[in-house]
Amino acid sequence: MSPRFQGMMPQLGIGTELIYAFVIILCCLIIYFATKELYNITKHQGIRYFRLSFLFFAIALFFRSFIKFVLILFNSRTLFDIAPRAFAGVTTFIFMYFSLIAIFYLLYSLIWKKDKKNLGIYLMHLLALVITIITILLGNILIYIILNVLILILILYLIYQKKSKKKSGLYFIYLLLLVFWIFNILDIFIPNFLQSLQLIIYFVSIGIFFVILYRVLTKIGSK
Amino acid sequence: MAKRNRLEVIRDILKIIQDSHNLIKLTPLLRKSNLSSNRFYQYLEELIQKRLVVKTEGHIKLTENGKKYLERYSSIVNFIEEFGL
Repeated sequence: MSPRFQGMMPQLGIGTELIYAFVIILCCLIIYFATKELYNITKHQGIRYFRLSFLFFAIALFFRSFIKFVLILFNSRTLFDIAPRAFAGVTTFIFMYFSLIAIFYLLYSLIWKKDKKNLGIYLMHLLALVITIITILLGNILIYIILNVLILILILYLIYQKKSKKKSGLYFIYLLLLVFWIFNILDIFIPNFLQSLQLIIYFVSIGIFFVILYRVLTKIGSK
Repeated sequence: MAKRNRLEVIRDILKIIQDSHNLIKLTPLLRKSNLSSNRFYQYLEELIQKRLVVKTEGHIKLTENGKKYLERYSSIVNFIEEFGL
């Protein structure tokens, strides 16, 4: 394993990690299930990609927390030190893949109308797969982080281009969501990165998901 | 008159069916929808595919989904606009 991957340093206790994961996974699943009826009525592809992105955020966060949980339990720096290589590789792969695909789906929910042939989503799956495999094989997390930042910039640019009256609110929420999602990725892979700020990152991340959940529920409930 | 967007056209078609006691023939529906024939049949195919309406013996009827669409139209529009979908 490359030294660049040796950064899975546990900092907070199991309790904090479990509460953090539980709250965000719950928020994501509520968003996913609360929008089910709207999707069933309309079969609107934008709603479909939006709700699936939160399902994938939930899956990614579950595996992120699983990795953290195992590291804290065994007081280890990397999953590859304590688990069989294949197991550690698969767990890391699932986290990275679903993390990327969640952001891709969020991106696609904004641009699906421009993709007449509906090929974009398959390309995004392929891209996520290739990037994840390359990152794991090379043991170079930098590629993965840079790509996440590029997607973030692209999403912000697309929202900025939209002519919606409400784009300023959406712009701010997605900006925070993606910035803190990248912090969550950094927190797993880079040693001691943002260690002193970890609890603040957790609180802000929970806050962002609460804001999105609140906006989803109020819009769904409005007549 | 401003051009209607997709969601508005769908709402208008469903509303016409509802206002006709949930049973209307194709020709009056086409006339009242204010669409060209081509566009009307594209929309009709989409509505049938999305199970918002059913076609029975030359008549068009709303399904439960179609009724829900009308009830929840403002929520649907608000949600789609809010998240730029």
